[in-house]
Amino acid sequence: MFWRLLWKLLRASSGRLTVAILALVSCAMVVSALLNLEFDIERKLTQEFRMLGANVLISPGNAAQATGIGPGEPMSESDVSGALQDLEDPAVVASAPFLYVVERVRDTPVVVAGTKLEELPKLEPAWRIDGAWTSPQDHLNSCVIGRNVARQFQLLPGGLLNLTYLGKSAQLTVAGILDAGGTEDNQVFVQLAKAQDLAGLNGQISLAQLSVRGTTKSISQYSARLAARLPAYDVRPIRQVTEAESDLLNRIRLLVVSMVVLILVLTALCVLATMAALAMERRQDVGLMKALGGSIERIVALFMAEVGVLGAAGGFVGAILGIVLSRWMGQRVFGTAISSRWEIFPLTIALMVAVALAGALPLRMLGKVKPAMIFRGE
Amino acid sequence: MATLVEVEDLRKEFGNVRALAGVSFCVQAGEWIAIMGPSGSGKTTLINILGGLDMPTSGKAVVDAVDVARLDEAGLTRFRAQKIGFIFQQFHLVPYLTAVENVMLAQYFHSTTDEKEAREALERVGLGDRIEHLPGALSGGEQQRVAVARALINHPKLILADEPTGNLDEANEETVIQLFRELHGEGRTILMVTHDPSIGRLADRRIEFAHGKLKQILPSFKPEPVR
Repeated sequence: MFWRLLWKLLRASSGRLTVAILALVSCAMVVSALLNLEFDIERKLTQEFRMLGANVLISPGNAAQATGIGPGEPMSESDVSGALQDLEDPAVVASAPFLYVVERVRDTPVVVAGTKLEELPKLEPAWRIDGAWTSPQDHLNSCVIGRNVARQFQLLPGGLLNLTYLGKSAQLTVAGILDAGGTEDNQVFVQLAKAQDLAGLNGQISLAQLSVRGTTKSISQYSARLAARLPAYDVRPIRQVTEAESDLLNRIRLLVVSMVVLILVLTALCVLATMAALAMERRQDVGLMKALGGSIERIVALFMAEVGVLGAAGGFVGAILGIVLSRWMGQRVFGTAISSRWEIFPLTIALMVAVALAGALPLRMLGKVKPAMIFRGE
Repeated sequence: MATLVEVEDLRKEFGNVRALAGVSFCVQAGEWIAIMGPSGSGKTTLINILGGLDMPTSGKAVVDAVDVARLDEAGLTRFRAQKIGFIFQQFHLVPYLTAVENVMLAQYFHSTTDEKEAREALERVGLGDRIEHLPGALSGGEQQRVAVARALINHPKLILADEPTGNLDEANEETVIQLFRELHGEGRTILMVTHDPSIGRLADRRIEFAHGKLKQILPSFKPEPVR
């Protein structure tokens, strides 16, 4: 009889309850989408943050002084690459060694950065290139020049650049022109082996840059592991980058949680208004139920179950819609769909039941209805 | 016959209004009592107190050895479910429940539901073909018969009827009164508020109220007052 009564109650007040369930479905949809976003946001944002470029630096630094290698003095390329291979962490998105040498182009000094050109698009995804990173015809003799260098020497992709250093010279093909928006626009990027050959520093590098995915903590942990393998060098996260990432992540999380709480409160108020009207409508029924011997607990339990069913139904439908919404939001914001988290379903349903029950406070007041007063028309 | 209802110096005040001013009488089990009097004389207040819907200001209202005035909220709920069958002038059926569900509602709050028994109760009041109808689809007389079936379903000790024919036309009134005759014939105890002297005369006794006081108790067909 309980479920029969429940069904009849739901049908009898379908108009008013439709308003409540629409509020619950809308709330569940947004809350589910935001929670799905919140659970996946760290992964998504740490991917997005890799657009900001390198966040771990290996340099001779202070630690190197103890070993007799002063700051600015070259490091061993094999030491660094060996340590990176030993650790082989999938969190490392890209790594590139750099050897910086000041060479001459038409008697004008230019900073030449020897690196693995093919790694640069992964290391610095925000850099824009006109042309290509390397020439397919001549990989070793390719170079990428900053846009200021290109302007100064009036070079275009496919053009030739002559570098000279201490009597040695090399003719390179300009594969692309770089627009980095920074000092890199004044540099020439060549393959590491070519720079080492010109400078006579075979097997040596000035520094190495890494782009490591993860939280501030995980990046610091990776840096510490790497530092343990490279005691002669200074390995450190670039704090401005990692802390800015962490700060942004925390702010977005706070925003999402605040929005979820606000939406839950607003929905509870909406349900409250609907239930207050419903409580007024049901005073007569409750008076009669009490006259027939219905206990307060049984009557209120009936109405609470009704509200609970509404919350669960609203939560279920809203959670499904929310997953669709979060996928759409993921596409719009991050360019890829947010991964669906199935634990969102029970969480959203539980939240909606709680919100519906909180909004059903006026129904609990029905317990105080006096049958005689109702029958007297008071 | 054993005494089923004992009312002693019963008083009820609503603020400054005195609805009952020291009423005393007894009802034997199996009696049909008509409670009569002008509007505002305290008839409905008395029925509400005896049915556990209202509490007296003072005095005793004992039904089947239970003093209603001494019961707490939970006790009153149990008392109403187990001992009383109400029939109201306005029927007071739940509009979104069918006839049989309205009868089952009383079963539900009493103990457990038995749809077969509820259907039989409706068939007994001549509504075998209206069992699945909503109250809105029933005439006034049919609605009141549903209310009678609902009042009887838990086999109450006392049937309290407040103007049960007040909203009915003559034909339906006759049908409902016939039901009360049958119930009385089965030995049920009935307290019925009525304005209609012809209905009042069908009862074993008539208790007449005026201004919250018991004016007189008359046996049926006997015009002389007994006290």
